[in-house]
Amino acid sequence: HHIRMISEGSCDTEDWRNDLGNPQLRIFRPTFNLTLVRPGKEQPPDTVQFRIPLEMTKFDVRNYLEKIYSVPVAAVRTRIQYCTNKKRNHLNQRVKRPDYKVAYVQLAQQQTFQFPDIFPEKDQKHEEGSVEEMQEKFMEDERQRQKSDPRRGGVTEWFGL
Amino acid sequence: MASCSRLSLHPFLSSASVRLACNRNVQVEASTAKSLYPPIVPSRTAKSKAAKRRVVTEFFEQLRSCTAQEKIRALTRVQRKKYVIYPHTFALNADRWYQHYTKTTFLNGLPEKYESASVVDESVLSEVRAVVCNSILQEHWHAKKGRTFIQKEQEQLVTPFLRNAVCGLKNLLAKESRVLTLSSLDFDPQVNYYWLRGERTIPEGHRRGRVEPMRFQIDDKPHSQIRIPQQLPEFVPLEAEISAEVPVITLAPDLLPLFRRQYDNHIFIGAKLEDPCCYGHTQFHVVPDRFRRDKMSKRGLSDQVEVSLRANGIASLFAWTGAQAMYQGFWSEEDVSRPFVSQAVITDGQFFSFFCYQLNTLALSPSADGNNSRKNVCWGTESMQLYERITDGDIVGLNDAVLKLLLQFLLNKPQC
Repeated sequence: HHIRMISEGSCDTEDWRNDLGNPQLRIFRPTFNLTLVRPGKEQPPDTVQFRIPLEMTKFDVRNYLEKIYSVPVAAVRTRIQYCTNKKRNHLNQRVKRPDYKVAYVQLAQQQTFQFPDIFPEKDQKHEEGSVEEMQEKFMEDERQRQKSDPRRGGVTEWFGL
Repeated sequence: MASCSRLSLHPFLSSASVRLACNRNVQVEASTAKSLYPPIVPSRTAKSKAAKRRVVTEFFEQLRSCTAQEKIRALTRVQRKKYVIYPHTFALNADRWYQHYTKTTFLNGLPEKYESASVVDESVLSEVRAVVCNSILQEHWHAKKGRTFIQKEQEQLVTPFLRNAVCGLKNLLAKESRVLTLSSLDFDPQVNYYWLRGERTIPEGHRRGRVEPMRFQIDDKPHSQIRIPQQLPEFVPLEAEISAEVPVITLAPDLLPLFRRQYDNHIFIGAKLEDPCCYGHTQFHVVPDRFRRDKMSKRGLSDQVEVSLRANGIASLFAWTGAQAMYQGFWSEEDVSRPFVSQAVITDGQFFSFFCYQLNTLALSPSADGNNSRKNVCWGTESMQLYERITDGDIVGLNDAVLKLLLQFLLNKPQC
């Protein structure tokens, strides 16, 4: 990060007057937060989708990714998603869902990115003799008992003796 | 006994009796017999898919007997939103997407005609060298030019150099190739093509859920083009098996990004239909300022330079050859009976790339693409440097291979 040097020069009031306007904007630690999201619609393999603050621009996104995460960025396209102001709460006041900006970042040097599967399907295999396994077996038997006789071929109990 | 003699001979006399009328050859007669009822066809005005199909089939049948002008007018009359394909794009990896939309395979290098080292006349090559060097030096050294805006540098330096070079080379080589005397050289022509390819489901609106074809339009403005009255010979036979595959892209064109607009659907080769020079020979393109090498490397897209050149070559040449075929009366239902061939040279002043295109099929619309095994072919080279730099009225590092290729390209002529 940038280190500011404070000079110990003379402090004669007439020589420097910096009360005439704000100093230039320097961003040392950005207050932006980027959120990597899974694309709702199928995207090309080199495209990564982010949710970014509304005040951020394409150039900010590029510099952010290149300088902090050293990700080679080829192109950035953004759009603003407007969210509804129609819903009302129990006091009949309109409740706004906050807008957000989406950035589609295309990676350089033919790199690809596939959003990972964060919630993989787990095979429920309880250990032998445990309580959960007995419960699972019991539930399974209950379900079997509730089902009607398969030999009836879907005909209800209403028809019959 | 006696009853046998009392049988009448009447059944045997009448030829319309049951035994003689019972004919075994029913099938033969049915095929030749005139049917009493008209054929059963679906309605023309009902609100049904069969009726729509019949209307479309009848429209196509009626189109087959029209002139080329009427065919073009009928196919481009209705305006709808279409994807506009720009030959110069900032989109990344655009050449693969363009190959899918034009059903083109891309082969590196040039066809065997140019690959096999042919003997080139040294005197002609030296004359070509003189013309090109003179044009370069004229722009960069002799003529005093003030500095212009950065976005107009190509227009100030490369466009006049290419003008002089092409004009000079065409007139020089007219004595070698007779077809160049009859050719037509145009500057800043327009080349447009409109076609249907692939299908999409309409996501929103009153037509939501219905399937409609995707429409594409290319509007190109090359620097110059040479058109000839006869067709160039093909590079490979029409039904030849080509090893490379056409890339298949399942994503929507909006992700490239490609944008949709609605305006007049143009099909134009650079001159109107009645022009005698209706077949294409060579086109020359200038790389715009935005896609120059130094600008692309400043944006970090040095590997996209070749990609954008390929995309430019494929799009421009497909549009040109497609329009030439439409001018001859071919369209998606009436596929081309002979391949249409054109060439292009794309340059940014210092680097030259050469492209050859052979159009084997126009049938890209959803109805015609089902059982179409032909694909279009594009050959292209990497960009080659013509000269290294220009110092004090002298060109350093002139590449003769580029000049030889230029010469061979311009000397390509149809068999008499």
